[in-house]
Amino acid sequence: MLAFARDIAGRRELLWLLVQRNIKIRYKSSVLGFLWSLMTPLLMIAIYAVFAGIMKWNMGRRDFLEFLVVGVVVWQFLATCVNDSLHAITGNSNLIKKTAFPRVIIPLAQVLANLANFLLTVVVLVGFLLVMKRSFHDVLYLPVVILTQTALCLGLALFISALNVFIKDTEHILGVALMAWFFLSPVFYAAQFQLDRIPAGQEWLVFLNPMTGLICAYRSIFMAEALPGLGLVALSAVMSWLILLLGLAVFQKWQIRFADEL
Amino acid sequence: MPTQPAIVVDSVSKTFRLRGGGTRTLKAAALDALLARRSVRHFEALTDVSFAVPKGETLGIIGANGAGKSTLLGLVAGAMAPTRGAIRTDGTISSLLELGAGFHPDLSGRENVFLYGAVIGITRKKMRVRYAAILEFAGIGEYIDQPVKRYSSGMYARLAFAVAVEVDPDVLLIDEVLAVGDAAFQRKCLQKMRDFRRQGKTMLMVSHDLATIQSVSDRILLLDGGRVVGLGGPESVVNAYRSLAGRQGADGLAREWGAGEARIASVEFFNDRGEPATTFEWGGGLAARIRYEASRRIEKPVFGFALSDSAGRLIYGSNTQIEGFAIPWIEGQGTLRLRIPKLVMANGSYLLSFSLHSEDHRTNYHRLDHRFPIAVVGAKGFEGPCHMPCEWRAG
Repeated sequence: MLAFARDIAGRRELLWLLVQRNIKIRYKSSVLGFLWSLMTPLLMIAIYAVFAGIMKWNMGRRDFLEFLVVGVVVWQFLATCVNDSLHAITGNSNLIKKTAFPRVIIPLAQVLANLANFLLTVVVLVGFLLVMKRSFHDVLYLPVVILTQTALCLGLALFISALNVFIKDTEHILGVALMAWFFLSPVFYAAQFQLDRIPAGQEWLVFLNPMTGLICAYRSIFMAEALPGLGLVALSAVMSWLILLLGLAVFQKWQIRFADEL
Repeated sequence: MPTQPAIVVDSVSKTFRLRGGGTRTLKAAALDALLARRSVRHFEALTDVSFAVPKGETLGIIGANGAGKSTLLGLVAGAMAPTRGAIRTDGTISSLLELGAGFHPDLSGRENVFLYGAVIGITRKKMRVRYAAILEFAGIGEYIDQPVKRYSSGMYARLAFAVAVEVDPDVLLIDEVLAVGDAAFQRKCLQKMRDFRRQGKTMLMVSHDLATIQSVSDRILLLDGGRVVGLGGPESVVNAYRSLAGRQGADGLAREWGAGEARIASVEFFNDRGEPATTFEWGGGLAARIRYEASRRIEKPVFGFALSDSAGRLIYGSNTQIEGFAIPWIEGQGTLRLRIPKLVMANGSYLLSFSLHSEDHRTNYHRLDHRFPIAVVGAKGFEGPCHMPCEWRAG
């Protein structure tokens, strides 16, 4: 852990350049460029609004559109991090095989680039929620929640980018696993929906999924939704940080063989 | 002045795990785990390699394909870890292991220059200082702000080489990168490498171009099958490699065939001073002593020779018949001498072939195609494969 921190601190400039590179490349040679970071979430909100309106899909809530948009935006951050990480190492085989630098910087730079994009999306989201006259709640916790989700994303990114070097099936497993995870997480339903269907005393099982607690926390901040219980949300947070530690440990152990396998 | 060496390679071995089709699929991994079997095979690319490179030295690394040269450079660059042993390096290392490793096609030349600097650990401040020199050496002008995917391969190579040498590293690793680019670019690169050497920088260089590597290296390391089989002065090690390569068939081009009633038993080469040699000074002479043996009397045999470049393309060939040197007959053992008074080819590695055939060319008694590698060094500057006397005059 300490070794990682030292490695990264020593190569701040490389990390920063790679983050910039990842952001630049995303919108390179598109006419609207960086505006897409703002346009995409706006268009997404519009599509959900039209679709949910036509289908009368509201899960019995008047604020279903806001509820859904918060869930989807938060989920998107995780999903892009996970998908990008797949080829973080294998897609940079040139660099890995020919030069020496702390490998952890590549997945970290991708997650940070996605974080920057997510923060812009959050700005759009806040604007949208203000238009919908939602009230915010405990906004001071937002940085902590975002940091925790970033830890989760980084842990997964490290694990997946390293795994894909050794097992090519990772790509296929990942697609299915991500979809299952999506339906297990309270993105288009409330966590309460799951809690209602689980025997009393075993609610914690639901919050072993770090995304459950995270989405609940975001909704509590953005929509003043009641938290299912601080202990349960804390469990999700602990899971997120554990996944980061696990990802770091795996990456640390395997990185020495990256150049041999690529 | 005793200083700490720039590179110390201490009893290094590198083993790769080989699997059937590259990366393992889950099915293969699961089956192996279930049956508790190990499907991996091991391949030892380097075995117990030790050497040290003092600061300021240029060490050339030669050897046949697969001898472990690139693996060795990858290890020194720190991209790979040795399986056993240790490597210690002192100072910043810039590697030209592959032109433009780390360049992103969508980024501009300028962006890629700074990115590469960051990859090898040069601070941005220092990069800003070097930037003008990089731009000047690369000579790609305003294209520097275009994405590198629009570059011609020559521009790409120039920029990549410029960055690697102009970031002013302490140690420069070069892997066979001079094979790309035109003659002018190669000359520029060689000049740059000489400057680099003069500044007391350390270089590790892998190349198949024996003449070049011999002229720029202080010492040469010869690898064969992952082991060090030679380390010493350029000429002696290159000669050792030539004889090794000659035995192994000059990288696959060599061929020996013929009817067999008469054969060329051996060919030896000498320089102008009468010393055995395989490297020759440009403008100097080459003498060959050809020993033959014939199991029966052969009337009017013809001895021939041919000179090809290292890719096997014929440059010049002649024989006793063309030259009007009539041999009435041969039987038993004998010796024939060939002398080329003036070698006029450009610097480089060449392959000599010898043949013994009948007067009507119908019967090839013995042919040794591309069997004898030689090198020419010290040519005066000119363009093209060989020198032609020419005179300039005013008025």
